Amino acid sequence: MLSRVAASFYWLSRYIERSDGMLRMLKINYASSQDAMQEFTWEPVIRIFAGSGEEETEKLENNSRAVLKYMVIGKDNPNSIVNIITLARENARGVQEHIPKDLWQCLNEYYHTVKETRLERALQREDPIGTLDVLIKQVMLYYGTAEITMERGEGRSFMNIGKYLERAIQSVDILDTKFGSIDDNPDLLTDTSYWKHLLQSLGGYELYLKTYREGFESSNILEQVVLNNDFPRSVIYSVNNIQRYFDRLKDDSNLEDYREMSFQIGRLQSRIKYSSVRTIEEEGLHLFLTQIRKELYGIGNSLNEHYFANS
Amino acid sequence: MQESAYFDKYSPISGVWDEMYGQNALVRDHYRKVIEYISGESADDLNKKEELAKRLFMSQGITFTVYNSGEGIEKIFPFDIIPRIITGDEWAFVEKGIKQRLTALNLFLKDVYNNQFIIKDGIVPIDIIYSCPHFLREMYQLQVPYDIYVHISGIDLIRDHDGTFYVLEDNLRTPSGVSYMLENREITKRLFPDLLPKCGVRSVTGYPSILYKNLLALSPRQINNPTIVLLTPGIYNSAYFEHTTLARLMGVELVEGRDLVVNNHKVYMKTTTGLQQVDVIYRRVDDEYLDPLVFNPGSMLGVAGLMGAYRKGNVAIVNAIGTGVADDKAVYVYVPDMIRYYLNEEPILKNVPTHQLGNPDERALVFKNINNMVIKKTNGSGGYGMLMGHAATEKEIEDYKLEVLKDPRNFIAQPTISLSAAPCYMQGELKPRRVDLRPYALYGPSGIEIVPGGLTRVALKEGSLVVNSSQGGGSKDTWVLA
Repeated sequence: MLSRVAASFYWLSRYIERSDGMLRMLKINYASSQDAMQEFTWEPVIRIFAGSGEEETEKLENNSRAVLKYMVIGKDNPNSIVNIITLARENARGVQEHIPKDLWQCLNEYYHTVKETRLERALQREDPIGTLDVLIKQVMLYYGTAEITMERGEGRSFMNIGKYLERAIQSVDILDTKFGSIDDNPDLLTDTSYWKHLLQSLGGYELYLKTYREGFESSNILEQVVLNNDFPRSVIYSVNNIQRYFDRLKDDSNLEDYREMSFQIGRLQSRIKYSSVRTIEEEGLHLFLTQIRKELYGIGNSLNEHYFANS
Repeated sequence: MQESAYFDKYSPISGVWDEMYGQNALVRDHYRKVIEYISGESADDLNKKEELAKRLFMSQGITFTVYNSGEGIEKIFPFDIIPRIITGDEWAFVEKGIKQRLTALNLFLKDVYNNQFIIKDGIVPIDIIYSCPHFLREMYQLQVPYDIYVHISGIDLIRDHDGTFYVLEDNLRTPSGVSYMLENREITKRLFPDLLPKCGVRSVTGYPSILYKNLLALSPRQINNPTIVLLTPGIYNSAYFEHTTLARLMGVELVEGRDLVVNNHKVYMKTTTGLQQVDVIYRRVDDEYLDPLVFNPGSMLGVAGLMGAYRKGNVAIVNAIGTGVADDKAVYVYVPDMIRYYLNEEPILKNVPTHQLGNPDERALVFKNINNMVIKKTNGSGGYGMLMGHAATEKEIEDYKLEVLKDPRNFIAQPTISLSAAPCYMQGELKPRRVDLRPYALYGPSGIEIVPGGLTRVALKEGSLVVNSSQGGGSKDTWVLA
């Protein structure tokens, strides 16, 4: 497979997954802002997903509608939904003859939905949750179509590596930000709605209720989001999948490249697998997450070097 | 004689050859079945068919993107549902004419890049060749496989008021539009079920396999499974849809310049398993951008070192580099002479009478009759930079004259040829609109093959003579009858 094609598959997938995470985060935070007694701050969301400067963040952080506009259709925000879906579509266009027609049409539709001029009005005047749901449904359609129509080959492996790498990075970032806020404001530790919203934005609320009976405990949340292999947005689940799909590339790989990366992924996998909440807390959560993030970025860089010919 | 409601209301343009409307106000025989068929359909049904065609184009992404203030807008190439029909006899004539012309043009390219007999014998003046920007010295004495330069051509034909075919332009560089020939036919199958076999329309589906067979034969390495690629400028190119279609239909890899690299005079593509040698490149990138080391150094679309690999014979490039010298509009004038010189035959297809504005006498004549002339740039394409004398204002003409006088060699003039007209479906009625015809000829080691069909472009604006898609033209499915 052409290196450019592989890279396009990977990036296409990363952008789609990012849009999914963002949309859910926006939806839950908006709902949460409706519950807030004091002024609701969007600062963590902007920090995780937009990486904007402090000035921009300050301007926006307390205005829900302005944040939604900036994050969904903001042309000057390089990480807005409209911009990343445009990039996703351009990547798909570059590999059009490698993806099923259905998938291309599906992505095309997602793109046209985001581009629709009505969207701005809906975000500003109407119920934002309904509007965000329309977009989330587009992502779901995309994933369903990909699952059913994609050839089980090299292309899909690169797609899934991208998807799970993006997901792992997101979960790490969200944890780091949310737990970081506790250091500044210890009251949050006992704030039920704070943890509930965190779990909801990761789609893990119901699983949590089933697993833990004693209410919201930060160590339990940590366990679920980092170590629970049954939770599809956990770090370990994502890393296991990176390993799984990377393994499938073996026959299509240059042996040396494969070995080097396989080692790298295995190291990360073991690091998480043989950690427990206790060891993580002893070590310091922030330090732990920082290391994991560095390893995840490292995998991205190695793909670039060994498979995408961008060295 | 009662023909049909649609036909009865049809009023052909006087003094113009009409593809459907024959003598004595009768439908020409070859259009009869189609007219019968659509007469059975109400205007409503036909409107629905038109809608269906639009939807099929849009949903299949058969679009080109127009970039406007940073935003891409998807557009479809307008399609008229009424086919343009060519009889078996007409086609036999056109086919023979194109084969003859292409053979001569190919011999000309071989000659002009090698011994230059045609210049030495005084048939084509030397200054016309050396002043042509598409004459590339880099090609001098470079041996191309089987001496074929123009593997793919799209020669534009038009018909004068008496139905005579004329060659308007020889497109010998990277002619586009063939995907529309294929897609238009697919759409017609959906619009008019069963009509194609009933009328005995010849199939065009063989095009990709003929092209693939020819590309395969050019591989410099005698191996089982040579690597053939289609080189595209990328997703922002307006013909990108065509590039993906052809790559898909032939099952070859679609690559961009950045996917290729040259090492030790061999071309490789970068794959996930390392470098893989490339044998044949069907390029849809212009000569100028192919190799930044030899041509335009600012090009990001090409491959550094490609020309070196080509010169060594390690890679075949389709079409050959430098073919533009043969479709330069100043060289066009000499094509009939080339046919006589190389083949010792009389040209089958006529040239449109052409004046070179580099010649002061001809220039004076053209300026005197400028209202009946079309003036074109010798190396222009896409209908840009043309002056249509009959439709231009006083000021436009004066401005254009000044432009011409700056460098007269770069301009030619032709009398306004009245393109033939074919019926188009417009809001419930059939109206005549001007058309041209671009058949695609494939030149391989086993000879020239022309798929029976082509692209019929149509000037959708009433009275317009410009069929280029960039100037508001559309297309029709083109039927060649058995």
